[in-house]
Amino acid sequence: MLGHILRRLATAVPVMVGVLLIGFVLLQVVPTDPATVRAGPMASAETIAAIRADLGLDRPLWEQFLRYLWRLAQGDLGVSIINNVPVAQELAATIPPTLELMVASLVWAIPLGLLLGTVAAYWRGSLFDRAVMAFAVAGVSVPVFFLGLLLIWFVGFKWQLLPFTGRAGPLWTLEGLRAIALPALTLGGVFVGPVARMTRTAVLDVLSADHVRTARAKGLAERLVVLRHALRNALIPVVTLIGLQIGFLLGGAVVTETIFSWPGVGRLAVGAILSSDFPMAQGTIIVLSLGFIVINLVVDVLYAVLDPRVRAA
Amino acid sequence: MPEAPLLEIDNLRTVFRTGHGELPAVDGVSLVIDTGRTLCIVGESGCGKSVLALSILRLVPRPGRIAGGAIRLAGRDLTALSEAEMRGVRGAEIAMIFQEPMTSLNPVHTVGFQIEEAVLAHRAVSRREAREIAIESLARVRIPDPKRRAEEYPHRLSGGMRQRVMIAMALACRPKLLIADEPTTALDVTIQAQILDLLRELQAETGMAILLITHDLGVVAEMADEVAVMYAGRVVERGPAEAIFSDAQHPYTLGLFGSLPRLDAEAERLLAIEGTVPPPFALPSGCRFHPRCAFADGRCANDTPALRRFGERHEAACFRAPLEAMAA
Repeated sequence: MLGHILRRLATAVPVMVGVLLIGFVLLQVVPTDPATVRAGPMASAETIAAIRADLGLDRPLWEQFLRYLWRLAQGDLGVSIINNVPVAQELAATIPPTLELMVASLVWAIPLGLLLGTVAAYWRGSLFDRAVMAFAVAGVSVPVFFLGLLLIWFVGFKWQLLPFTGRAGPLWTLEGLRAIALPALTLGGVFVGPVARMTRTAVLDVLSADHVRTARAKGLAERLVVLRHALRNALIPVVTLIGLQIGFLLGGAVVTETIFSWPGVGRLAVGAILSSDFPMAQGTIIVLSLGFIVINLVVDVLYAVLDPRVRAA
Repeated sequence: MPEAPLLEIDNLRTVFRTGHGELPAVDGVSLVIDTGRTLCIVGESGCGKSVLALSILRLVPRPGRIAGGAIRLAGRDLTALSEAEMRGVRGAEIAMIFQEPMTSLNPVHTVGFQIEEAVLAHRAVSRREAREIAIESLARVRIPDPKRRAEEYPHRLSGGMRQRVMIAMALACRPKLLIADEPTTALDVTIQAQILDLLRELQAETGMAILLITHDLGVVAEMADEVAVMYAGRVVERGPAEAIFSDAQHPYTLGLFGSLPRLDAEAERLLAIEGTVPPPFALPSGCRFHPRCAFADGRCANDTPALRRFGERHEAACFRAPLEAMAA
């Protein structure tokens, strides 16, 4: 098990280097010059050149990249071009709200998706099954921003039931919970459908397996047959798929945070990119990519926990 | 009043709803099994023997259903039980093992847990006691080091070992009847013999009845007290094993057993049956075997033969039997 985790960690290293490289190159291709942005509209050519030299932007690209890696290794993510705040400090402030939002979204979306998918599979072809599948297709088709705007318009604005801008405090306070409700409904809402669909397919697959017949033949109650012998086995593929989907959920988090002014990494990323805040954008890209890698690692570990055949290998 | 037999299947009909309408997979089958006896059901693939077995446990998968007849276990009609009552029968009074030991166990639970589960479903014992019973059951099917084996996942065991685990699971609650659907088909020949020996030993120990489904006549010769030969959803011949082996009456039985090479009669040509079992949506009229039968005449194509007596408890459904009369 430990070997399995270490092997997975080792494969994450080249992925991370690749991410850093792509992030670096991407911001080079953007037609905006960070030195010009920083210098402001009235600056002279000399000032801009000085700033460029100061930021190391006049060096060859490969050298910029290596310097960048070197600083990164020392935990130095640079300083925002816009407001001179260290990138690491901004990230430290925005990571917890993003994690909070992810957890608050997944904590209801995954169980609900598993439940709907399992029941739909069990009563395959029933009205309930068709309703769940229609809902799932709708869930897949509705973009995050649209669901978010709908919720803001109706729940937040027209009916004035819940706040829809910003974070209002820790989750253990009522205000904190009220503030996170709409963003979490939005981000989780687009996730229920895919989870339900994947679960339904996987459970259907397992329900026709020989070992389910064995479980029935020994007289187990249907509840146990479904939970222990169908859903439990179906979780193996479902967890993998959920892991992949959570990657997309990170993208959804960027949108959700932006429309709900949620003070997370996603919103920070959007702001940094829009204002050509070079180091800040890179920092957020690193964090979001790291998040993706960590999620995949967690999925791999979960996979081994769920499937004894993988554990042994 | 004579005591009711352990299991009595009476005119059972199991049908599958399909695009062709309701098709019978089991069509009017009647059988009897007594305590401590082994009944072998023989027939080619598709003759309905597995559906018959699943019907007894009422586990016929959708869109199949039992459409008529009765299945009486010690006089109690299983077809009339509620689903909850039926669950009390499954695993406790009638247990079943299957053809594929590789896939019949759940790969994500230890074998000990899977046996434990069967025990907990039927007996008011604690989890720890259930575990002890599970380990005992593994010991009973001659699995070495059962305590350690109980902690293993199925993928760590060989096919023969898994089938032993299946048997241990089936017998953990001491059922009166064990249904074994092709239990050795997927196993190596040497392992087959071991599993059959084990079943016989356990039968001697516990006095359970065995309903053994097979297409392997070697297995029949080894195990059967009684034999029922099925063809296209019907029993075409049944009787004591000796009678079926030495004095088969139905041309289909003769064909089946005739296709078994014999060492003591080398000169005889092997009798092969031409063609295949007709699918349920294209059943011939009259005797369902007549298109493949060398002895069929006009009557066989029009009328359905009923089972007729040819000896003590020996019956066959054929107008033309006994065939010796024709040879003369």
